Amino acid sequence: MSRKILLWVSVAVLIVYIAVASAAPLIAPQGPTAITGRPLDPPGAAHPFGTNDVGQDIFAQLVWGARITLLFGFFSAGLSVLISTTLGIVLGYYGGIVDEVACRIIDVVLPLPTFVLLIVLTTFFTPGILVVSLLMGLLSSIMGIRIIRSQVLSVARTSYVEGAKAIGASDFHIMSRHILPNVMPLVTFRFVSASQHLLVMGVGLSFIGMWDTSTVDWGTMIQNAYSQGGLALGLWWWILPPGIAVVGISLALAMIGYSFEDTFNPRVGVNRI
Amino acid sequence: MPATQDPRDEAGEVIRITGLRVSFSTRSETIRAVDRVDLTIKAGDTLALIGESGCGKTVTGMAMLGLLPQNAKISGAIRYGDLDLLSAPDRTMQQIRGKEIALISQNSGNALNPVIKVGDQIAEPLVIHRLFAVQDAQKEAIRLLSALGFEEPERAAAQYPHEFSGGMRERILIALALICNPRLIIADEPTAGLDAQVKAHTLRLIKAQIAGNRTLFLITHDLGTAEYLCNRIAVMYAGEIVECGPTRDVLAMPLHPYTQGLIASLPSAGLHPIPGMSPSPAHLPPGCRFYERCPAALDRCDCEHPELFEAKNGRRVRCFHYD
Repeated sequence: MSRKILLWVSVAVLIVYIAVASAAPLIAPQGPTAITGRPLDPPGAAHPFGTNDVGQDIFAQLVWGARITLLFGFFSAGLSVLISTTLGIVLGYYGGIVDEVACRIIDVVLPLPTFVLLIVLTTFFTPGILVVSLLMGLLSSIMGIRIIRSQVLSVARTSYVEGAKAIGASDFHIMSRHILPNVMPLVTFRFVSASQHLLVMGVGLSFIGMWDTSTVDWGTMIQNAYSQGGLALGLWWWILPPGIAVVGISLALAMIGYSFEDTFNPRVGVNRI
Repeated sequence: MPATQDPRDEAGEVIRITGLRVSFSTRSETIRAVDRVDLTIKAGDTLALIGESGCGKTVTGMAMLGLLPQNAKISGAIRYGDLDLLSAPDRTMQQIRGKEIALISQNSGNALNPVIKVGDQIAEPLVIHRLFAVQDAQKEAIRLLSALGFEEPERAAAQYPHEFSGGMRERILIALALICNPRLIIADEPTAGLDAQVKAHTLRLIKAQIAGNRTLFLITHDLGTAEYLCNRIAVMYAGEIVECGPTRDVLAMPLHPYTQGLIASLPSAGLHPIPGMSPSPAHLPPGCRFYERCPAALDRCDCEHPELFEAKNGRRVRCFHYD
């Protein structure tokens, strides 16, 4: 029961975040970079979260920053799940030598640390938020390919898939109409957990300057506060809001993910009674 | 020639299997699942292939649909009209499956996709073979559900497989096979796992559905089911056909000792089981495959392999007693 409440609270939190990010132009019409006050003003009536070193409103930055941070997380996760679902289904359904080779490649790539691999890979491209996001999606799909493939292996051997062959269904039809819906719960779970993972990673990457630091997102906000003396001077209103915002959405997504896992994996849910 | 007539010979044959052999190779041994099987099914024929588990009857059925696993080694021929189903390209087989040769599969609990509504699943063959638009296919599915004894077919069509009982699911599987009005229906143990009453009901429905001169190939281990549905019977043992003939004759006067044993093992005949076990398909004896268990074995049965001899009334039997 408490799990259920936790799920709904988490969903509510997620909705609030998405609503705020979508409504940024209404909530903070001045934009994230407008200089609207004196530098380093503590929170007050004019600036609910105070201002930073150049007099930009922290609240406006937080609201606009949510757009980039959330978009990065969800876009990379979407791409990751798209790749892992497609490849997972195709490899698991056809099997054979291609599947064997793909699995060995995955075995090799999987243990490599994603963060390091990503930094190496970005040297081949012009690092920008889109490139990093595409690479993140690609790299994080590797684990997903394996997980979804193993689920497809069991679905592909059921009698209803055999039956679908017996009514003359094509491979594409079987994969899209019969196998996909049966792995969809797992795909949804993968999407939620990948969003959480990639969103936090995006903040980290932005913090270390993987893309243009003039982009306003939560990572660059923390980076600015850190490098421009916010931390040294103990200006809590500068550094805490983006940090708490990251923790909030990360927790919400994690809780949604755990509730899903509870439903899909009975062994995890034993203590629920 | 009208389209409904074409893949049939002058003799009205729907399918002719000649010298079908199927084997599976593992690392250490070769399993001969089906060995030199010859079968002919004529239009309007109802043929039962009878045998115990593992004798190769399901493999024979799957070979007709071209649905054997990839590691199966297949030889022989399965003629369907001008086509050899064993060498036909995948696309041709896809067009034949479900539309011309349909399968009533075993109701094994996951024979229906758990996440697709029953109506959509029944309509699927019509949509795949582009016989009907989706809307009309739905109507056709509902009509067939009603014909198969569903009292509220519209409601049933909108439900998921887990909402039905085993007997209802079997009827849904029958609908799925019948919907394209196929030339040949292969039924693989259509009443497995059903209790006696539901089984009787299901068999009545199948009989009613095939009554309009449909062609049925029944795979079963149950003599009663074969007797009820089929006018011809072929008995399979260890991958071979051992006896073949009209159902009534075979059951009234079985020729092969194995068939005699099968009939004696029925509850109505006193439940006398055949002693011993059938030989492993990986280590088949050189002589008659039933030699070990045969109460009437001759000396030559140990090392000589019997052919399928002609007996009277067009019956055939693989036993030296009829040489």
